[in-house]
Amino acid sequence: MKVSRRDLLLGSAGVAAGLVFTPVPWKLLGDASIWTQNWPWIPQPAHGPIETKQSVCTLCAAGCGIRVRMAAGWPVGVSGVSTHPLTKGALCPLAFAAQQLNWHPQRLREVRHRGRAASWADAKAAFEKACSEGPVAIVDGRPGRAASSVFEAFAAKHTGSYQVVLGPENRALLPYAEWSGVPVCALGYDLENARTVVSFGASLLDGWGTPGRFTRLWSKRAAGQMDPPLRLIQIEPSLSRTAARAWRWVPVKEGSEAALAAGLARVLIEERLTSTKGPVPPMTLAEASTQTGLSIEEIRDLARTIAANRPAVVITPDANPAVAALNVLLGAVGASGGIVLRGKRRAASTIPGPANNSLRAVLIDATVPWEYVPQSDAEVFRFAAWDGGNSKADWLLPAPGFLEELTDLPTEPTSAVETYAIAVNLLTPGAEIKSATQFLAQIDGSLPEIEKVIHARCEELFKSRAGTVFAAKAVAVAQSESAQKLEEQLRGGGVWMNDAPRSGSLPCTLKQWPTDAAKSRALDWASLWAPAVLPPLAGKLYQESNLREAPARRSA
Amino acid sequence: MNARYGMVIDLDRCTGCGACMIACAAENNVPPAQPRATYRTGVTPMLVRKATNGQEGALRREVFVPITCMQCEEETPCVSVCPQQAVEVDKATGIVMQIPQRCLGCRYCMTACPYHARYFNWWDPQWPAGMENSLNPGVAVRMRGVVEKCNLCHARLHSAMAKAAAEGKREIDPADYVPACVEACPTGAILFGNLADEKDPVYAAAHSADSFRLLARIGTEPKIHYKSTQAWIRALAERSTEHSGEAQHG
Repeated sequence: MKVSRRDLLLGSAGVAAGLVFTPVPWKLLGDASIWTQNWPWIPQPAHGPIETKQSVCTLCAAGCGIRVRMAAGWPVGVSGVSTHPLTKGALCPLAFAAQQLNWHPQRLREVRHRGRAASWADAKAAFEKACSEGPVAIVDGRPGRAASSVFEAFAAKHTGSYQVVLGPENRALLPYAEWSGVPVCALGYDLENARTVVSFGASLLDGWGTPGRFTRLWSKRAAGQMDPPLRLIQIEPSLSRTAARAWRWVPVKEGSEAALAAGLARVLIEERLTSTKGPVPPMTLAEASTQTGLSIEEIRDLARTIAANRPAVVITPDANPAVAALNVLLGAVGASGGIVLRGKRRAASTIPGPANNSLRAVLIDATVPWEYVPQSDAEVFRFAAWDGGNSKADWLLPAPGFLEELTDLPTEPTSAVETYAIAVNLLTPGAEIKSATQFLAQIDGSLPEIEKVIHARCEELFKSRAGTVFAAKAVAVAQSESAQKLEEQLRGGGVWMNDAPRSGSLPCTLKQWPTDAAKSRALDWASLWAPAVLPPLAGKLYQESNLREAPARRSA
Repeated sequence: MNARYGMVIDLDRCTGCGACMIACAAENNVPPAQPRATYRTGVTPMLVRKATNGQEGALRREVFVPITCMQCEEETPCVSVCPQQAVEVDKATGIVMQIPQRCLGCRYCMTACPYHARYFNWWDPQWPAGMENSLNPGVAVRMRGVVEKCNLCHARLHSAMAKAAAEGKREIDPADYVPACVEACPTGAILFGNLADEKDPVYAAAHSADSFRLLARIGTEPKIHYKSTQAWIRALAERSTEHSGEAQHG
């Protein structure tokens, strides 16, 4: 068939029209745009069955309730649990990216001896040798856990010492423990019944205590109100995140907190604003005014405001007896809305053991703050899930990371009520990962097993018939069917909370006004976060925005 | 569905913790910062900024303002300028949708957005080895060269709709659709819901005496409302977030 020019033109026009009216080019264009979004080097999420598990976060001592979304067996999202009695669904910012931590480039995945790769067998041999040569010390950052029982048992059997490293919030309660004779782990802050909270630099709205407990309380009873039922007074030299949101911010000169506390105490005593008897501080109001930079009238006004809105409680970020004494004068120790005795369940006991210079080895559990450095010549075995860099420990031993270890969580340091929770291992760590208790069990097979200790503790809770388990719904322990059922609920992410304590059972004697200097160190926003590293997404807060200062690099 | 999803952010309750920023990034598979990334080149679909009252010393006051896509209802600037039709206002929900597959990366929309709530992917998305296992399977990763912004966690809306459909319902349960930032806020400062539903708590909050919208005078009818009892904070509403002498990136 002969094709004429006319046929060619008609055919071309037909093809052009057909292309316009057929979906083929548009489909190809759409597909091409999708292909260009899916180059092989673009990471793809893992697809698989999706399930949601409830647990508690173990990354700091707060033990917040978490809901973990799992896809293909991996955690892909973390959110809060609204039924948790303390956090009520709130979490710290870092927890929302905690699922990234197990793949952090600084995740410790091999045994290291003085910077070089070693094996678990080497570490075991070295530790056994040290044990045979002399006493060893075990350092625990979270006393009261099932693992703590294992450490105590090992130290007792091997004539070693069991030492506890307290966090700043626990240390802040040390003066009251000294004055009342009650162990520090039995004390807590009854914030729920306070009308005034006076913070001497504690970051109450920025990670202090259980993130969410005070922020929820503040949000409900204080935020945006001119005359709120809960008054937050922040005493701090700079306008911190908490100061910015406080009912009143009192800027004082750096390091003059003790002087202000003495000045306030003077006014309380002179104007008879308190019925509690206490020692008179040696400092005059004029001296307090000079040191703090506040006028005498401002100090008087502050004291009157605090006294007029009681119960009032004073909070310090770390041990500060000179400020803590103000609570005694305000009658806040052992009273509702103040420092309360929450119970003595599983009080932390330490085994003093020999002096540090005679120790042959120090074993540091992964819960100890990364910056902790023991003052000893002994060989240091440090368990850590993440290598913060510049470690001074002789041995770095890879420990379980986020959601990789079965553990239990005793009461958080600032809580007014006893709590107990169990975090099950939702992930199985690799063979190269071992916890400190697994390591010690290889050396001494007669040590108690974590599973059995947790089981015994659940039995104990069941027999006490006290408190409530907050799971999908709140169930009083007295109504629980069995200890097994109670343990099942706790393993499913439930939290046991004891009944509220009775106030007035905390006699606190203070013979003279303390003048001890505050033992504190500068805390940045990430200091209370236990891992030595932050999730990569935390960079959104300090690199891709100026919301926060970049955290100080930590080393040990 | 005929909803108008929006938020009311109570600035008196925002402590500037940044939980909303991290929860947003984790939910939407936003990659971590590249070493060279800054606040100008980073990707923060939810960004908490800090503003002050301009005073110094004891009189200084600060407020934290979470800025996200304002979900403009009228004359949506980004929709108007996009040559690729890569931005659409979903008629059923009022959500301003960004379609990365259509985006050619011209960034007209970023220039047009009066709220600076759009971000350009300057780098290929990268995570440390193995960390891709922690990505949300419900959200596709965007590649280098496209613009992105908040879409009110559209993947969560899809999940809620799928659940409703499986149960034979036409409407979703409001409890099933809560964006990540709302869920993460530890003080409950962000209220989310259907602004077209008078029974929804967000409706009453948006119409309260203390509520306001950013740059309301330009008539884009944002569906993100703010509220504060303090007059100096409400006065910030008519100041551009970038050009004010007092407002700071945060």
